[in-house]
Amino acid sequence: MNVSTQTWIVVADDPAVSGLVTTARGLGGAVSAVVVGRKSVADSVARAGVDEVLWLGEPGDGAPVEAYAGEVARVLAEAGAAPLAVVGATTPAGRALLGAVAARFQVPVLAGLRGATLEGDAVVVERSVLGGIAERRVQVVGGPSVLAVAAGGVTDEGTAAAVREVPAQPLGAARVTDVRVKEQTGVDLGAARAVVAVGRGLKAQADLDLITDLAAAAGAELACSRPLAEGVDWVAKERYIGISGQHIAPELYVAVGISGQLQHMVGVRDAKVVVAINSDKAAPVFAQCDYGIVGDLYEVVPALAAALRAGS
Amino acid sequence: MKIVVAYKWAPNPQDAEVAPDGSVDWSRAKGAVSEYDPVAFEAARQLADATGGEVVGLTVGAASVDSPLARKAALSRGLDRLVVVADDRLADADGTRLAAVLAAAVRSIGDVDLVLAGDSSVDVAEGQVPMTLAGQLGWLGMAAVSGVTPSADGVVVERDLPGGITTLALTGPAVLAVTTDAVVPRVPGMKDILGAAKKPVEVVPLDALEVPDVVAATTLSGSRPETGNRRGVIIDGADASSAAAELVAALRTARAL
Ligand SMILES: Cc1cc2nc3c(=O)[nH]c(=O)nc-3n(C[C@H](O)[C@H](O)[C@H](O)COP(=O)(O)OP(=O)(O)OC[C@H]3O[C@@H](n4cnc5c(N)ncnc54)[C@H](O)[C@@H]3O)c2cc1C
Ligand SMILES: Nc1ncnc2c1ncn2[C@@H]1O[C@H](COP(=O)(O)O)[C@@H](O)[C@H]1O
Repeated sequence: MNVSTQTWIVVADDPAVSGLVTTARGLGGAVSAVVVGRKSVADSVARAGVDEVLWLGEPGDGAPVEAYAGEVARVLAEAGAAPLAVVGATTPAGRALLGAVAARFQVPVLAGLRGATLEGDAVVVERSVLGGIAERRVQVVGGPSVLAVAAGGVTDEGTAAAVREVPAQPLGAARVTDVRVKEQTGVDLGAARAVVAVGRGLKAQADLDLITDLAAAAGAELACSRPLAEGVDWVAKERYIGISGQHIAPELYVAVGISGQLQHMVGVRDAKVVVAINSDKAAPVFAQCDYGIVGDLYEVVPALAAALRAGS
Repeated sequence: MKIVVAYKWAPNPQDAEVAPDGSVDWSRAKGAVSEYDPVAFEAARQLADATGGEVVGLTVGAASVDSPLARKAALSRGLDRLVVVADDRLADADGTRLAAVLAAAVRSIGDVDLVLAGDSSVDVAEGQVPMTLAGQLGWLGMAAVSGVTPSADGVVVERDLPGGITTLALTGPAVLAVTTDAVVPRVPGMKDILGAAKKPVEVVPLDALEVPDVVAATTLSGSRPETGNRRGVIIDGADASSAAAELVAALRTARAL
């Protein structure tokens, strides 16, 4: 298969594309976008630093974004020589678009991206695999490199690329009948200097007060392990840390009643100082922390909050 | 309704040994039904019971995904029967190849209305296989599914998306990746485990399926990420307030406060 120097970003009705554009721009060639969703999103993407936007038209009749995934793949396949790379987001809808593209070209989707560069005329990808236990430099020969990256934010480069509408036929399998907007917590854990996270060591939802009090004393944001955000609803979903949640790099991370499973700890690999509080001295978290207190959180947490307040 | 549940028999990377060159030794890690896939089994069972349908388990992978233990673990979780494609040529297959084999198997099962999958696997954990499977089938693929319930003319799907809790009416074939919010999976009892032995298992040879060629990524080099360079100072918390004071002092010295 002939591979061109053209890179595409594929956008699923979400103007947050800075991560996609940065990765695509890093490969040197022209960057075009295929946008599924509202015109306002296409217009926003046009100002995010791409050369051209193909917009699949206003989604009618309640078709979910994912219903256009096959059409996105078709547009790329019909655009001329096979693309050098196709970049999409790791969000639920982003993965659906990438899945259709990967199936169309029968190439892998490369996630866990730590970097992608052009070496000669090939894309060399550095990626973290298997929940972060290993890293690989890989290359796809004979088809586009399909890359899944963090979406990033909304950017405005000042100038707008042309937006061209291309007709598309979504699958008719599903229709959105209702959207209940969630309460926006507006929390930005990524910007927090300190984060106090709690896990299944907490016995009851009401006991969260203890943890929020410690967070307040430490000037920290509250976070949690996945089981406290999914299944039970004790803490908002955008506050859980880990491989399928938030990746953060605060100055201080305090893990309270969290065992330290790989899938959680990979989210704080880049934290400066990690503190663990756990009653089980054999908990894996103690092998991954800077400071650990072996003790009952119901005694240690109030004492720690008091000690922080006493010193300040 | 005929529902296929794509599940993975996989080890937890937590139990793997990684060499400095990034190669992974799985010999001490045991396979299991991937942690979140029982949610898909349970959601499928409940849907099938409500609509009078059938639940077919489907897994593809290396020969080891078809051990007696692996069969029992899957069949005791509410399946009617099992289809396995177990071949060592799939040992290092990436997601797109797995999805291509899964798609071929779904086609060969025939008349499938719905494929349910887990949200992400315990080993690869990228949540990509179900979406690429949808691409291979030319079906609608949706992740972040927090509920699936029967309706008069199909299925009501609930999704927990950044834009809000979204409800959809599903009438056509689809691949749905379900999160742990969807249902609470059953814990297999003695009856389920004994019943598992009587359920049919169909072993489909890889060569019997029409699988397109898939380009594999070439690995140029590997490495083990830098971890484990944390200080590891452990404080006895028997006396909570002195432990707290000691920690606060240490954090101030480390300028973490
Ligand atoms: C594909 C996949 C993706 C995943 N993604 C994520 C993710 O993104 N984020 C995530 O967090 N998890 C994730 N998980 C789940 C992860 O594997 C663990 O199951 C989870 O992190 C465990 O949460 P926990 O530490 O709170 O609970 P547990 O593992 O149950 O640990 C609770 C801890 O509390 C301690 N404890 C109990 N009582 C007390 C007390 N009184 N005082 C002090 N300590 C006490 C116990 O000793 C124990 O160590 C994922 C799993 C899979 C398979
Ligand atoms: N080899 C496989 N066989 C069957 N189902 C799979 C396989 N790999 C992944 N899946 C399904 O896809 C989900 C997500 O896996 P992954 O994309 O690896 O994170 C899993 O929870 C399974 O439901």
